[in-house]
Amino acid sequence: MSSLKLSGVRKSYGAVEVIKGVDLDIESKEFVVFVGPSGCGKSTLLRMIAGLEEITAGELDIGGKRMNGVDPSKRGIAMVFQSYALYPHMTVRENMGFALRFAKVPKEQIERQVLEAARILALDPLLDRFPKELSGGQRQRVAIGRAIVRQPEVFLFDEPLSNLDAELRVHMRIEIARLHKELQATIIYVTHDQVEAMTLADKIVVLRDGVIEQVGKPLELYDNPANQFVAGFIGSPKMNFLPARIVQKDAGTAVIELVHHEGVRLSLPLAGGAVGDLVTLGIRPEHFGLPGEGAADMTLEVDVAEHLGSTSYVYARAAGEPIIIEREESRDQGDQERITVSVDPSRTYLFDQAGQRIR
Amino acid sequence: MTWAVFRRALVYVLLSIAAFVSVFPFFWMIIGATNTSADIIRGKTSIGGALLTNAATFFTQVDAPRIFFNSAFIAIVGTVLTLIISSLAGYGFEMFRSRFRERIFALLLLLLSIPFAAMMVPLFVMFSQAKLVNTYVAVIAPTVASIFIIFYFRQATKAFPRELRDAARIDGLSEWQIFLYVYLPVMRSTYAAATIIVFMANWNNYLWPLIVLQTADNKTITLILSALTSAYTPDYGMLLFGTVLATLPTLVIFFVLQRRFVEGMLGAVK
Repeated sequence: MSSLKLSGVRKSYGAVEVIKGVDLDIESKEFVVFVGPSGCGKSTLLRMIAGLEEITAGELDIGGKRMNGVDPSKRGIAMVFQSYALYPHMTVRENMGFALRFAKVPKEQIERQVLEAARILALDPLLDRFPKELSGGQRQRVAIGRAIVRQPEVFLFDEPLSNLDAELRVHMRIEIARLHKELQATIIYVTHDQVEAMTLADKIVVLRDGVIEQVGKPLELYDNPANQFVAGFIGSPKMNFLPARIVQKDAGTAVIELVHHEGVRLSLPLAGGAVGDLVTLGIRPEHFGLPGEGAADMTLEVDVAEHLGSTSYVYARAAGEPIIIEREESRDQGDQERITVSVDPSRTYLFDQAGQRIR
Repeated sequence: MTWAVFRRALVYVLLSIAAFVSVFPFFWMIIGATNTSADIIRGKTSIGGALLTNAATFFTQVDAPRIFFNSAFIAIVGTVLTLIISSLAGYGFEMFRSRFRERIFALLLLLLSIPFAAMMVPLFVMFSQAKLVNTYVAVIAPTVASIFIIFYFRQATKAFPRELRDAARIDGLSEWQIFLYVYLPVMRSTYAAATIIVFMANWNNYLWPLIVLQTADNKTITLILSALTSAYTPDYGMLLFGTVLATLPTLVIFFVLQRRFVEGMLGAVK
């Protein structure tokens, strides 16, 4: 398995730049997830690594070798597509062995490699079927099998689970995690689903508008987002953002007041910013406390409450702003018209007007 | 009688008329092939006993093996070449991006509006200067790049999944191999439908072969049948027998490819 390195990689279609200078190091055997909203360039970046899109500028190295302009089949990669992209006129066996047939691998060896991949994915009973005779989950397993057969240095997954139903998605997610362990493979995985990113990744790369916003381990991104975008993207339900103002500032600490909740003041450690600055306060739904637990209480009007059993989500509103609160094991919460919650300053995040984190 | 029943009745009457109009010529052709010319002129609509006489007359007047070979050669080679060239063009137009792609394609579609009659004379001059008049090449060459079939393949290619091409590229196939081993088998319904359309057009082609095929031994069945009608007293029984023979190949092709033809017209890729 190989490492992979992107340096200053750019992609333009005519005058439109979609990837705006990406630098990234991926270690051998690492499971890296590219995540971001649609149109952020994550799939384009993956296709550039695969060789399906040309690299306009910058360098791509796989296993220490420069891969710009190298034919996709000679990059040591294999790709699993969102639509599976199985050849409809070939059986599962032929689909899986197709690449090897064109690489002039001897027949017996193709058969051996196909059987080995089929064993790993429990595809043995399906080998003589055609794709149209398979369910969505089975097709996706065949697509993964086709990638395994090629024994690539790097596996590329392009939103492989988005065509599956919710239950199957969870199942395949676990399957892919197991596969990563078993194959000890370098995997680059593209998704817009932050749950997939959080559960699968060794390293998450958050992209927006063709730029990397932050790279890190899943919990690092959750605990320590670099900016408002990453804070809002990682975590479900997403972080609440409330406008606030710095009203007092001493060396190393500051007092902020929520703009729409006069009297809600929080004192927190803060090196940057100045008195009078408008800032955004971020609070995750799961970090609101019971009244009196934190430094300040807020009372909100309740719109709707969703009870999922182990947790409840309360969709509330304060001065017209929507706020989501997550509550564990409290089924009566939020059925009233009003709810009072407390805010713990140590579990909040501050962002400046440009959306950058200030600490 | 309610409006709904009346409307239903009307639909049936209209469909029956349409069915009659389409089927009657075939019926008349088959009945006519078994009757004498005199019976046909009298309007006899039952099977007669002159089939063998008509056949004998036809085969004495027409060098059937030679003529059918001409027709078959031109239709088959023409169809194969048209499918290869036009489907390649359709694939190319859809798969490859270029600044000029849409402009060139629009120009091609514009060319569709030029009637063949307007190109006939310059075409003939071209082929006569190339000393190709009265050859198969002269009949086949002008038809192989069919704008309509290019258009048809381009439209069908829009439904061809791009990810299949990507997967094939990663699997190490060249563009030609992708066309041959992935595109062609996946699009076989489209090819089937195009085969029927192109084969029929080639088999029935009349005007251009009439101009470039000048000796009797090179003529196609369509030309021969037309020539037989121009006799002073045409033998309609013999003529209709020839027509039945001339219809058979198209019928066979249609019935063999029928299921795929319907799939192809509905969109090939499932």
